[in-house]
Parts: sequence; C-alpha cells; structure tokens
Amino acid sequence: MNGAPIACRSIAPDGSYLTVTATVRPRDGRAEVKCSVPDAPDVARRMQAVVRLARHTEARFDSRAQVVLSLDRAPGAGERDWELAAVLADRMVRGLYQPPVPVVANGWSEAWHLGRVDGHSLGTVPFGVLAGGEGGLPHLGALSGHPDPAVGVSSARAWFPLVTGGADDSLAWVEVNVRPALSDGDDEESRIVVPGVDATLQARVRAVLVAARHHDGRGAGQWRTTVRFAEERFQGGSFELALVMADRMARGRDFLPRGRLLATGQSASWHAGRVENVDGAAPKCALLLREAGAGDRILLPRAWEAELSADWRAQLKAQGASVACVDRIGII
Amino acid sequence: MLNLFTKTFRQAPPDLAGLGAAYIALPIARGCTVPNGRFAVLANGDAHTRRLSEGARVNAFEGETAWCVHPGPYACELIPFAAAPEIGLKVAFAIGSADPREALQRFDLFLASEGGERVALDAFVAQVESALQRALAQGNLELPPCTSFEEWNLFRSGFNQLLYTRFGVMVDDCVPVDLGAARDLAALLAARLAVQPVSAPAAVAAQEAFDAAIEDRKGLRRLFLELPRVQCGLRMAVLPADCATFRRHQDLLRRLDLVSLGVGTMPALELAAPNQALAAGEQLRRARHTRRAVAALDEAWALLARMKHAVTEMLPAIALLDEADRIVANLECDCAARRAPHEEDA
Repeated sequence: MNGAPIACRSIAPDGSYLTVTATVRPRDGRAEVKCSVPDAPDVARRMQAVVRLARHTEARFDSRAQVVLSLDRAPGAGERDWELAAVLADRMVRGLYQPPVPVVANGWSEAWHLGRVDGHSLGTVPFGVLAGGEGGLPHLGALSGHPDPAVGVSSARAWFPLVTGGADDSLAWVEVNVRPALSDGDDEESRIVVPGVDATLQARVRAVLVAARHHDGRGAGQWRTTVRFAEERFQGGSFELALVMADRMARGRDFLPRGRLLATGQSASWHAGRVENVDGAAPKCALLLREAGAGDRILLPRAWEAELSADWRAQLKAQGASVACVDRIGII
Repeated sequence: MLNLFTKTFRQAPPDLAGLGAAYIALPIARGCTVPNGRFAVLANGDAHTRRLSEGARVNAFEGETAWCVHPGPYACELIPFAAAPEIGLKVAFAIGSADPREALQRFDLFLASEGGERVALDAFVAQVESALQRALAQGNLELPPCTSFEEWNLFRSGFNQLLYTRFGVMVDDCVPVDLGAARDLAALLAARLAVQPVSAPAAVAAQEAFDAAIEDRKGLRRLFLELPRVQCGLRMAVLPADCATFRRHQDLLRRLDLVSLGVGTMPALELAAPNQALAAGEQLRRARHTRRAVAALDEAWALLARMKHAVTEMLPAIALLDEADRIVANLECDCAARRAPHEEDA
C-alpha cells in the first residue's frame, strides 16, 4: 500500500509554487487523512476538512488506507487557492485521477462536499494550469467530462484523437454547454455558438448538432448551446461523434461512462443517427491505447471492428477501459 | 343459551386497500385470512420468518409481526445516472414464491429488517434506484454509452442478481426507455436556475438534517439482523482453492463475526458512559457512522451478488476477496467510531 509520493503544485500570489505532497500508507486505526503544514496548524486543519468534504463525492470508500498530505511551506493568510491542489493530490495518490502530465492547480470552494469548485484567485491563468470555477474546472466530475447534476447549466466533455502523424498526436476535447432557452423565435442554428473558430467549422458544428437532435427527437428549440474545442485549428471531421455524444450527455439523453468518453467517427447522415468510417485507424488506436484509463469508454466506427487486434483489446481491458464499434448512436 | 357462538368466528376482512398498487406489503391482523393471490410473511424479533399462502389464517405467535404481501408484478422507471434524467430503465419486478433451497427468503429478511410497518412501492423503488446508481458509480455494473448486446446482457444478469440478493425480488423485464417527455431536463434546469441563490445553503442543511435517534435505531437493527446472514452468504459463496485463500477467507469471516458481535453490544446512542449523557453533536456523529456502516452493509450485499454472478462469469475470486476485505474494514472502522463516545483523531 505504500506508494511513491505524489506531488501537485499550486501557484501562490507572488508567482512561486506551493507543493502538496501526498503519500498513502496502511491506516492502522489512525485518521483517514493526515495533513501537515509547517508553522500553520490552522491551515492543516482546514486542509483535512477540505479533503474529507471532497471525498463525499466519491462512490467508493476504503478505510484501510491513510493519506498523508503536506504543504512545503505555509501559504499566506487567507489564501485558499491550494485547496484544489490538495483535493487532486488526495485523488491522484489513490489512483482515482491519473493525469498524463504533472498538475498545477488553483481553486477554492465553499461546497467541496458537492464537488463544486467556486473559483480561483489568479489574475491570468497561465497555459496548462487547472483553474477552478467557470471556464476552467467548475466541479470535480468535469475532470472526466461529466455534467454536474447540481447546477442550472449542463455541460459535458468528450475527447477525440487528433493525429498529425508525428509526436504531437494527442487527445483533444470538445465541450458542449447547454442552458434552457426561454425565448422562442430564433431558429435552432443561431442558438448554437462556437466561440473562437472559423465560419466553416462553426457551420459544420451547427449542422451536425441540428441533425443529431433531429434524430434524437428531442432537444429542438429547448436549448441555447455553446461548444468549445481544446484546439480551434484542426483538419477533418472525426470530431463529430465526440461532439454528438457530448451533446447527448449534456442534455441528459445518454448513459454516462464512469471515466471519460473517447470517440472518433463522422457521418453525412446524423439525422438518421448513423456513424460512418474515418481514416487513420492505426495511429489513432495506438494513441487511444496510450491515453485510455480506468473507466474510460471508447467509441469507434463499425468498419474498424475487423482491424482491431485481440492484443489491443486485451490490453485496453487490462487498463480498465471498454470499447465499442458502433454504426449508429443511441440505445442499442 | 350459552351465548358461546354469538361472536362471529371469522374476523372482518383485513383493510388492504392499495396493496399491489401503491403498497407492496401492508400489516395484517392476527386471525385474518390471507386473501386470494397474496401471501403473508410472519417475522419475530430475531428475523425468524415463515410464510403463509393464500387462504390460510394468520396465526401469529406472541412477538411476531405479520405482513400481507402482493407478489406483483410491479412496474417502475429507474434513472441509472442522476446526471442523465432523460434516459431510464423500465423495470418490471415481482416477488417470487419461496425458494425451497434457502432457509431464509431474502425478501422476508428485507421485510423483517427494514420493512417497517408497511412497504410503499415508491419508497422501495427509490431504494432500488440508489442501489443501481451505486453499483454503476463503483463500476460493479457497466452501462456505458452505445451499450452493445453483450454488454447489455452482462448488465442484465448482474442487475437481476443484485436485486435478488439485495432485495429478494425477481426482475421480469428491463428495457431502456426515453423519459424525455416526463422528466424534461430543460424544464428541470430552468426551475433550478430560478431558485439558484436559495438552493445552495439548503443543500448543506440537508446533509445534517436527519433524526439521529431514528436513523441510528434503524441502522443498528439492520446491522444486527443482516450481518450474520451476510457472513453466512460469504461463507458459502467462496470455495477456497488453496491454503492461502482459505486463510484469507477464514480471517474475513472471523472479523465479520467480531463486527456483528460488536453491533449486538453497541452502547446506547445517548450515553457516553453508564448514566452519563452524551452531547447532541456527538450523538449526530455516532448516527453518521451508523449510516456509513449501513452503506457498507449494502455494499456487502452487492458484493455477494457479484460473487454469485462470478461463478457463472468465471471472474477471479481473489479480486472479489480484496473487495470483501475493504468492506469488512469499513464496517470495523465505522462500528468502532460508533462505539467511541468522542471522535478520536490521530
């Protein structure tokens, strides 16, 4: 049970790093979380309370392990941006959250027991920093793209592989935000906005969503929708399946994966709910195998089914991910 | 002349309005006759239960409680993911006739342990739904987007086993269903947006707002009655293949035994020591630990369901023993905290 220590950093107001270090060891009748901060017992108590509250959003409780968290130095008075780093370190050390890169996180909350992250106090968020609150990480479930069941705006993320044939291959996300539309009148397409992308992509996103909602039979005229992409410049249409699934999850119309949803696929006939083939099976499968974690769900076009090797499937299963090759969306 | 037989021999028919529709089980008085198509379950304080079939007279002994049960079928709609209210499962379930291979029917234990006076259908369905949501959140059942046929069949058999092991009901039918018309997420969110400023503090209050005495009493009662049965189930569910597994299995059973002994001798909620009252805040803490122990008990039933399922699916039993270890550790931890008069912090 004694694992390697995990570090999670947070940016202090003066620009330096605060580091939360977490280790896990057998509990032996001690408290489930132990926190230490040099010269600041109050902060340590607050940290323990924060971590305990945030654990209320977890489904699985294990009383056999004790997590020891420590801050490398005392933060300034009233400073609370380290809270998110402490919560994430607690999850990382127990393997509940496995980020591919070292994490820098800033965020505080008044309601950790609901998983909400209220905000952060950074002036500008540097690239790669996970910042709490609107526009960053509004609640802990968003780490795997799930909609928050407790707020009035529903948003969901799905990931799609972006391959350029080089070392930059990565997963990119697409996020769909929906809020109820109160006014009627304007048409469905103009209620879908995609900030920051060119007109072609915006038109394509609109057409895809309108057609997919037509197939769904619901959702037309009910929502105002915002779509965001991790990266605004890319080629090809293999993001479409991820977009459609994120939209369905945000509107509460589809089952949710336990982890993230990773999908690739496109279609010329979303109004019929069909999923068609895309290129690049080999590099995308390699990338997906590298990135998939426990609980993740992978959706691929049906045409790829014959190309998937038994090895690849077995390895994915060992990592805890599941895969399906689909030719249409929706309930089986 | 002797006025011996002026009282009618049979009692008036029992009042069972709503049985089979709004209620699954209703109390039935001693001396009544069990109506056609129903059956009666009698349980005493130690959850020794017996069943009476239709037409029999309820001849309850001293200290026995009697329920009249409608076997169903009942129909309900479950939401597997709280965040996706527009997609659900349409489930039809029924309470089967007694399985002669089992000494104690699981549904009868359910009645004796958590049935209360009467079992309303909607409260029962809410319990089933939370058991389902929990199994999905923990990854013990899988219902991912674009579920394939094989995954669906695996889910179905796991779900059937869960409901049978946890509640003692049989699933007749279960199909995915679009609930969009009844539970419109857009309307739900609009309503939530309208009350947003008020709703946040209310949610905080709801966590603390429960009656410590009632929760604690009910929870301990469940632990007291069900832990020995869980132990019994665990003993029979695993057939150790080698010596090491055998020892682990024995050790788990021994620890479970100690936990259920501890529950049987649990100190009263409101006493810190004999004739010394405990502060209200500490009572609330004790009740919270009872609740968490009951949650672990629910997980133990779900685990038993998985173990029975594993026999047919050939899953490694070793992995499930580790899960059992976790659940027993949680039970030990929460029962110890329930016993302690104040929080121990290390």
